[in-house]
Amino acid sequence: MIKPDKLRFLALSLLAAIIAAGCVTSTVVDTRTGVTGINEGEGVVIMAKSYHLGNETELKYIRCIEDALARGRDGLRVIPHAEFVDSLFPWFEPRTAPAETKNLAKLMDRPGVAERIAEQNVRYIIWLDGDTDRVAGGGSLSCAAGPGGGGCFGFAWWQNDADYDASVWDLHGLESAGTVSADVSGTSFMPALVVPLPFIARTQAKACRSLADQLHAFIVQDESA
Amino acid sequence: MKAIYRTVLPGVLLSGLITGCASSVTLSTPTIPEPLLEKIPMSVGVRMPANFQHFVHEEKVYGREEWTIDLGRSNAALFEQLFSYMFSDVIVLGPDDDPQLMPFDALIEPSIDAFEFSTPEQSSTEAFAVWIRYRLKVFDRQGKLVSNWPVAAYGKSQTTTMGGSSALQRAAILAMRDAAALMIMKFDDVTRISSLAGGAATSPAPTPVTDELIENKENPGSEDSASEGSTDD
Repeated sequence: MIKPDKLRFLALSLLAAIIAAGCVTSTVVDTRTGVTGINEGEGVVIMAKSYHLGNETELKYIRCIEDALARGRDGLRVIPHAEFVDSLFPWFEPRTAPAETKNLAKLMDRPGVAERIAEQNVRYIIWLDGDTDRVAGGGSLSCAAGPGGGGCFGFAWWQNDADYDASVWDLHGLESAGTVSADVSGTSFMPALVVPLPFIARTQAKACRSLADQLHAFIVQDESA
Repeated sequence: MKAIYRTVLPGVLLSGLITGCASSVTLSTPTIPEPLLEKIPMSVGVRMPANFQHFVHEEKVYGREEWTIDLGRSNAALFEQLFSYMFSDVIVLGPDDDPQLMPFDALIEPSIDAFEFSTPEQSSTEAFAVWIRYRLKVFDRQGKLVSNWPVAAYGKSQTTTMGGSSALQRAAILAMRDAAALMIMKFDDVTRISSLAGGAATSPAPTPVTDELIENKENPGSEDSASEGSTDD
């Protein structure tokens, strides 16, 4: 039997956690253009589209997707992108990486490329495009300190949008399997009455979880079909 | 004692403020992975300028801070490693070596035309960017210039919790790696160096179109990625 005090504490903690998460809305969409599925031992690589093409996908987002896809009992075998890029130097550098699937056949004909990919048993390359931006903000918050103490007063808010697209390339057929997109918007706010209370919307983390879950389903879904 | 404090304390504070406006980055020697390519079967000599052994770039970002970027001998290390992967035999010349007396098929002379960078404050992004423009001169065995190729490289790295210095270092290393990738892909097409194998003298390779640093800065990679962004070439 849980004591009423403990129950109240748990309820308050839950409420605080919900509020502290800020407001986040997300939309995840996938578009399939080919049959997917993955066999035991096959792996995936998460890559960022080239910054030579203006892409600004954050390194920590790539790592987050890698970790999320590899996590759990049903986790995929994820080859770290840096390891993959190094093993195929210089053919997956920002300048040289294939921009379209039609370039894959030519790439595979280059000396050693097909062999290196086969050695690592890479089935899919997932290209990430997009970033997280602050799109709006407002309010006013000021803090002051004196000999007798200090404090803050006011209210501030800001909105972050995380828009990411993942293009899935199947290296078996050297073709695109489709795309998965995550569009997440989060509003954070910080009221302050002596002590500022930050309610942070974890927009990018949500975009990472949503995209990784959908990617996992996208890749393994057809296996059972 | 009070007088000492009165004199020393402002000095310490002032020097703290001054050093707070200066950033220094020292690059560790980069390495590139062994590339997937077939070596060009020829012997080349490589003559590097003095600043390849110790290249320091100093720049004051207007109204902000002063940056000192010490590339050390990273350029020399990069080119030594790169050419050893690209050619079957590489001889690095010392400052007193006479190339006429050395038994190679061609002489390569790399140099740095320009080094530039931008900070997140300047670009209104969260990234540091580095542009390096190298120049590669290729001479035949008789000492005749057969190719003069400007290589524009670009690297970009986002700021992390590790701070701006490490992001700038990474951007510089990525720019060097970008140059290496371009050279591996295009060196023979542009300079026709393989035609010099065996000591053959040839007519000069066509002068490549100068890919101006400014153009690349406005639209990084646009010029090169049109031809090299895919594997069609």
